[in-house]
Amino acid sequence: MTPSLESLATCFQGLLPAQLYTCSRDGIPNAAYLSHVDYVDSSHVALSFQFFNKSHRNIAENRHALVMVPDPDTGQGWQLRLLYVRSETSGPLFDRMSLRIEAIASYCGLKGIFKLRAADIYEVLAVEAVPEEPADAVGPDVKDDLTPTAAPDPVFTLKALQDFSARLQCADCLEMLMDSILAGLEESFGFKNSMILVPAEEEGVLVTIATRGYGENGAGAEVRIGEGIAGIVAEARKPIRISGLMRGMLYALAMHKEASDPALALRRRRIPLPGHANPESQLGVPLLVRGDLVGVLVLESEVRYRFHEEDKTLIELLGSYLAIAIQNIQMHERSAEVAAEAPREPRVNDAEASASRNGPREVAYYTADECILVDGEYLIRSLPAKILWRLLTIRESTGRDEFTNRELRLDKSLNLPEWKDNLESRLLLLRRRLEQKCPEFRIAPRGRGRFALELTCDVVLRTKQ
Amino acid sequence: MIDADLAAFVQERVGIHVGTRNQRFEPNGARALAVRVEHDGAHLVVYLAEVAAKRIVPDLEANGQAAVSFGRPIDDKACQIKGTFISLRSASPEERAEIVAQFESFLTNLEEIGIPRRLAQRWPTWPCVAIRLKATAVFTQTPGPGAGEPVR
Repeated sequence: MTPSLESLATCFQGLLPAQLYTCSRDGIPNAAYLSHVDYVDSSHVALSFQFFNKSHRNIAENRHALVMVPDPDTGQGWQLRLLYVRSETSGPLFDRMSLRIEAIASYCGLKGIFKLRAADIYEVLAVEAVPEEPADAVGPDVKDDLTPTAAPDPVFTLKALQDFSARLQCADCLEMLMDSILAGLEESFGFKNSMILVPAEEEGVLVTIATRGYGENGAGAEVRIGEGIAGIVAEARKPIRISGLMRGMLYALAMHKEASDPALALRRRRIPLPGHANPESQLGVPLLVRGDLVGVLVLESEVRYRFHEEDKTLIELLGSYLAIAIQNIQMHERSAEVAAEAPREPRVNDAEASASRNGPREVAYYTADECILVDGEYLIRSLPAKILWRLLTIRESTGRDEFTNRELRLDKSLNLPEWKDNLESRLLLLRRRLEQKCPEFRIAPRGRGRFALELTCDVVLRTKQ
Repeated sequence: MIDADLAAFVQERVGIHVGTRNQRFEPNGARALAVRVEHDGAHLVVYLAEVAAKRIVPDLEANGQAAVSFGRPIDDKACQIKGTFISLRSASPEERAEIVAQFESFLTNLEEIGIPRRLAQRWPTWPCVAIRLKATAVFTQTPGPGAGEPVR
């Protein structure tokens, strides 16, 4: 029985390289490796056209082709007899294939070099098992990281969606919402490792605001738009799914690029992006509201083929919902600030009493870099650094330790934009970063639009160039 | 045609595929297990499992045109040798150890990039046929703008 293309879905993830056979008009055969065969519909596949090579010239002369693709789950080889139909240079299929190439190229530091020229569409005339590549006999006790443990998990049940939605409905502040999203992704859908990045103050930069499933929370870690999966998703504003092998193969190249690029080496004050050392599967979706990028959600797994096409589709759908939820809660928090009380009078005694006097910590603010180091160790930069510095200096000069979001918004020294200042997300980021790197400083909520800066040590403030 | 460096490359740790075409110019292909470059650098013997050879031998006997691709998984280095068919025979028992060793070195290379050996545990390596070709051209196939350029 001829298998359907749908039943060969795992063959189309690019986990194992395929082989493409063509023939020129004068009868000379050609055999070449092919990184990826993409599923189009029940009778068509697409091959990426990146370089003007012999295979492509042959197809222009003779439309017949043969592709051999191994099944990464079983080892069974399949050969597809193909007939070239057309090339697409735009549209959803082209975008999907192009984005994947861009993301991979980005990991190599070779963005722009491996460019998709066209998605070549082929009609599949026949599908046959390759007899010299029979399937192995994987028993239930034989499992490895190519075995699709997550394959058709019924994760997106109505019940799971209901649970997820209910969890989000309970969140009454940005922090709770972020935590609810990531916890819900794990507990309702089984996605254990995830992170949310939001646009930073600096144009073209994303900053990590919430993570789940990693050793360190990674708050404050930055990526540039166009870099890595989160950066590419933000740039393209489209979801990307990357599976296994390609990522692993290109990892070394990415490290080579990192080591050899002086511009990257100069960015010395950086927080490392959280994540697996070598994630085998990644799924990134943009969080968009009416075309505005609210953030990027990235899911990771060490399983090579963790995320399936339906995962991408459904997480993209969820992404729209999450984006609106994030934007709504930010608006809600801001509107509630108006009703918030003015900050309390100085509580010098309270503040002094709260310090356990474990020895002072030196907080240095570098004005040129707008970054803060605590006892010589990098803490945070940009707007969250400016906010923390402002809070510390107010506290030092007045003894006041309670603040409102509204006063920060009106504080000219912070120079927040009138609209879309993302203050809540910056405060959240600052809180997370302090939790991880400087637990003696704590930003504690005190009702809607209010918070306290609690210190359990003495502080010495220094301004540096 | 095939110098010592190229011969060393194609005889260890690479995946090997043989492409042919039928009389209607439709391509055919099969996985090979090993290759031996002869001392003159102008001929090579390609070893395929019998079940694989069945798909391409009719083409070779009909028109003689062959393309053999070699790709090393760990770094994607790849090349292709075009050739014309000279002869076909069964592989001898004396050749078996070298055939298996080459194929095993390929599987080891796959393991180095995380592809488990078990995927190929049932891929047959015997009985085997030996297809002798005369090399007519060599092309680089390492992915990138230079892919498809003649090596010499």
